[in-house]
Amino acid sequence: MPRKSLFVVCLLLGVVAFLIYQSRQTEPIYHTQSYVFGTLVDVTIYGETEAHAIEVSDEIVQDFQRLHQTLHAWKINKASTNASAEKHDAIDTQHTHESQSASLVAINASFAAAANEVPISNEMAFILQDVQRLSTQSQGLFNPAIGHLIAAWGFQRDTFTPVVAKPEVIASLRKAQPQMADIDINQINKTVLSRNSAVKLDLGGYAKGYALDLAFNHLKKANVQHALINIGGNIIALGQHGKKPWRVGIQHPRQPNAIATVMLPSGWAIGTSGDYQRYFMQDGKRYCHMINPNTGYPVQHTQAVTVLVPPQPVHKSQAGVLSDVASKPIFIAEAKQKPGLAQAMQVRDYMIIDAKGDVSISPTFAKKLNWLNPNEAFTILSSH
Amino acid sequence: MKLSPFFHRIKAFRLGDCVLILLSMLLVIWLYTYLWHHAPAKHVSIIQGNTVVGHYSLNQTRDIHVKGALGESVIQIVNGRARFLKSPCTNQYCVHQGWLSRAGQAAICLPNALILQLSGASLAFDTLSY
Repeated sequence: MPRKSLFVVCLLLGVVAFLIYQSRQTEPIYHTQSYVFGTLVDVTIYGETEAHAIEVSDEIVQDFQRLHQTLHAWKINKASTNASAEKHDAIDTQHTHESQSASLVAINASFAAAANEVPISNEMAFILQDVQRLSTQSQGLFNPAIGHLIAAWGFQRDTFTPVVAKPEVIASLRKAQPQMADIDINQINKTVLSRNSAVKLDLGGYAKGYALDLAFNHLKKANVQHALINIGGNIIALGQHGKKPWRVGIQHPRQPNAIATVMLPSGWAIGTSGDYQRYFMQDGKRYCHMINPNTGYPVQHTQAVTVLVPPQPVHKSQAGVLSDVASKPIFIAEAKQKPGLAQAMQVRDYMIIDAKGDVSISPTFAKKLNWLNPNEAFTILSSH
Repeated sequence: MKLSPFFHRIKAFRLGDCVLILLSMLLVIWLYTYLWHHAPAKHVSIIQGNTVVGHYSLNQTRDIHVKGALGESVIQIVNGRARFLKSPCTNQYCVHQGWLSRAGQAAICLPNALILQLSGASLAFDTLSY
């Protein structure tokens, strides 16, 4: 075989290698999934090098894991009963007293023991203040102080088991009226105490939204231009998907597909509360994780509420938080009160699907939705 | 030896042969990248006979009970993967096939006339609020 031919073959192999490399270069989109906050976390980054995208999304997921440790309402990976969990929490409190700032589990243990002030981190002080303000704004329907009630319904476990809470248990938990106003947050000394030992904080309706805002700021700091973050159905957008804006589907509460899609501009967030993610059926009745703090019972008049939130001013609760929190009071409120609650939460774009499956939408949101079924019937709510 | 004519022919290896080799290599690469998708799946379709009985997001954890020709099969979805969990068929091939997670993958249960077909990202939207 002549040297010339050998040379040509080598050259061809080089070309082939180059072509393989070329064919791997597709749309500059990086997508990663992980499991945090007991739910699926999706990070999509567009237009960055793969190395940078991996680095940034790893940092974000690490942030989420740290946040999950501090904000989780019950001990992770503990299949034991609540009673023994509380006992462990008490030990944790002593530990954290000696160190500096307490996790939510330790804070709850000190509340239950009617203890004195617990030292907390700056971040926790900020979060609790934010939660307190949002709870007032929601006229108490967003009430993360009812952790004991949520636990009584069996929703505070890693491996969920259906429990129909006993009426007398609910009555006594309701009578104690745990609410965010029972908590004193000292912003100077960074401590917290509860004047009501029935208060048990569960930030399940806040943590995911807070994590979205955290991730959004992290992405901007890392000079990422385009990204989409989805934490268990709560989503925030940065930039857009190439030349088109990011587009989000809204899950149909009773069908295995989306009901509509909506454009999510940069800085906007969307969140859905549904009765179909965490629930159990008992005697033909559906018991979902959305519990009305006034009755102590799971809400049965609503299937889903979706809210769309624009970027917020600096001194207010941020878009991610609002997209997580605002859907809850609207979900819990009776049909007639729903628009009023939306207004109280300063949400203009929202959709409600009631127990019969009837869809009603705020006038502004109606203009933004694209139905997957063009014949979808819906009512436009009268504006205030 | 009878091999010598073969070596003789190799000496006539010319530019045309190189082009042919190049083209066939390109074809192989193109076929590989075009057909051998490794993209993670987003949805699973459950097909019974000729009809699609359900189209589900893989972005969830749930069991789906489907009636087939023999009886009820249980299909399990756990965070991006799907499989036959239980089947009334005798050979249990579908159950043994295990988890499916890539777009284009399928598990078929012939006795119970059920097919799981995984598909990639739907183009209608980038992510789902649920």
